[in-house]
Amino acid sequence: MLAEPGQRVKIKVKVNGVEYEEEVEPRKLLVDFLRENLNLTGTKIGCDTTTCGACTVLVNGKSVKSCTMLAVQANNKEVVTIEGLSTDSRLSVVQQAFKDNFALQCGFCTAGMIVQAHYILKEKKPLSEEEVRDLIHGNICRCTGYQNIVNAIMDASRRMGA
Amino acid sequence: MYPAQVGYYKPESLGEALDFLEKHESKIIAGGQSLIPMLKLRILNPKYLVDIGDLKELSFIREGDVISIGATTRHSELVSKRLPGAEIIQETASKVGDVQVRNMGTVGGSVSNADPSADYPAMFSALEATMVIRSKAGTREVNALDFFKGPFNTALGQSDILEQVKVKPLRGYKQVYRKIVRRAGDFALVGLALVLKANAGVVEDVRIAFTGVSDKPYRAIKAEEALRGSKLDSSSISKASEIAVEGVNPPSDSRGSSMYRKEVMKRLLRNTLEEMKDAS
Ligand SMILES: Cc1cc2nc3c(=O)[nH]c(=O)nc-3n(C[C@H](O)[C@H](O)[C@H](O)COP(=O)(O)OP(=O)(O)OC[C@H]3O[C@@H](n4cnc5c(N)ncnc54)[C@H](O)[C@@H]3O)c2cc1C
Ligand code: FES
Ligand code: FES
Repeated sequence: MLAEPGQRVKIKVKVNGVEYEEEVEPRKLLVDFLRENLNLTGTKIGCDTTTCGACTVLVNGKSVKSCTMLAVQANNKEVVTIEGLSTDSRLSVVQQAFKDNFALQCGFCTAGMIVQAHYILKEKKPLSEEEVRDLIHGNICRCTGYQNIVNAIMDASRRMGA
Repeated sequence: MYPAQVGYYKPESLGEALDFLEKHESKIIAGGQSLIPMLKLRILNPKYLVDIGDLKELSFIREGDVISIGATTRHSELVSKRLPGAEIIQETASKVGDVQVRNMGTVGGSVSNADPSADYPAMFSALEATMVIRSKAGTREVNALDFFKGPFNTALGQSDILEQVKVKPLRGYKQVYRKIVRRAGDFALVGLALVLKANAGVVEDVRIAFTGVSDKPYRAIKAEEALRGSKLDSSSISKASEIAVEGVNPPSDSRGSSMYRKEVMKRLLRNTLEEMKDAS
């Protein structure tokens, strides 16, 4: 694939199970692609400097910061955003656990937190509270509400049978 | 902020990548975890990005008499891999950034970027790793100590690609990577890579490398010499920690003053050696 500066390229990306073909400039960030081209605004831009994790999405099953990835880098890959985690309008186990544990205040960090929680819980391994804290340290909550977030993730982990 | 206009080339092979690099003013992108922030700040503004991030040829971990790690191997792949004789690699990888950064960032990207506070450069210096560099002209090998030249400056030329890093396993060595940070997931204020082999309490071999204290990884050669052949006890440990900071002039910045960094170096080395002594 070759694109001259300023030229757009066609990319194919599967997002939340749906195939999209869109033309983008190579400089377009994945987070802007999701929000502007696909209108998936659940993914948030917090810091724009790879620090806060509000933009976390899954690319081929791995959590990444979509403010620090180009849309062209996602070509021929699968992306899952917060919108893709609930099925048939039912909240995922992690989403329900966040709700039940009051794990959100202003909610700006929440989408990224939940996507990251899905990633760290996917192997259904028992995790200690300390491990959970370490695995989510790339996600910052400006309301400093980590205790309930950690409780929610521990709770979700139990509900998933870890 | 979004990057300035840029072209994009995704090669199918290492050969194609090398051809393109030689003909066009371009910059390699691997994981993008250092490059994209720089493009967003418009510190860099290359004509083309050459995306080697998905090149399977460069993604491997091979074990044996020599351990080879392909340049596009992600940090997270090393976090989940214990390499006998080079356990320090896994420990170092687990301390780079956060989970999301480790899922994208690559070994080659970290080494090529040569941030003076990065973790791999010090670790690979302690392991005396060999950097394998590819260009149209062929393959060359450069020792870690000669590879890192200064801040963000390495032996890599414009149209070179780092292919892999090779390490000789150090069996029977205790290996530790420690870093002091201001907040979780940050670059090191001071980082220490230490590998040591002792026999009946006497140091047979030791290599000490720091990050964050100089414009490139800093090997505390004199401290190593002082320790080699001596009994690992409190007196030799304190002497080595004092010697380790002689002749180094760490930077002063928002994270800490030069004097503070020296103090951290001393304590890090002393505490780590004390733990090794107690464990042996
Ligand atoms: C929030 C955050 C925290 C971080 N924390 C740490 C930390 O604690 N410790 C640490 O060490 N690092 C840290 N990093 C940096 C991180 O480790 C990056 O993954 C790494 O430095 C760059 O790897 P990359 O594959 O993303 O390289 P890229 O960003 O793609 O490239 C970096 C540079 O290397 C060049 N390059 C890449 N691959 C090659 C190659 N094979 N041959 C030649 N040149 C090449 C590129 O042209 C570019 O100049 C952090 C980054 C972020 C965003
Ligand atoms: S917006 Fe991407 S990490 Fe903060
Ligand atoms: S709930 Fe407010 S930033 Fe996290």
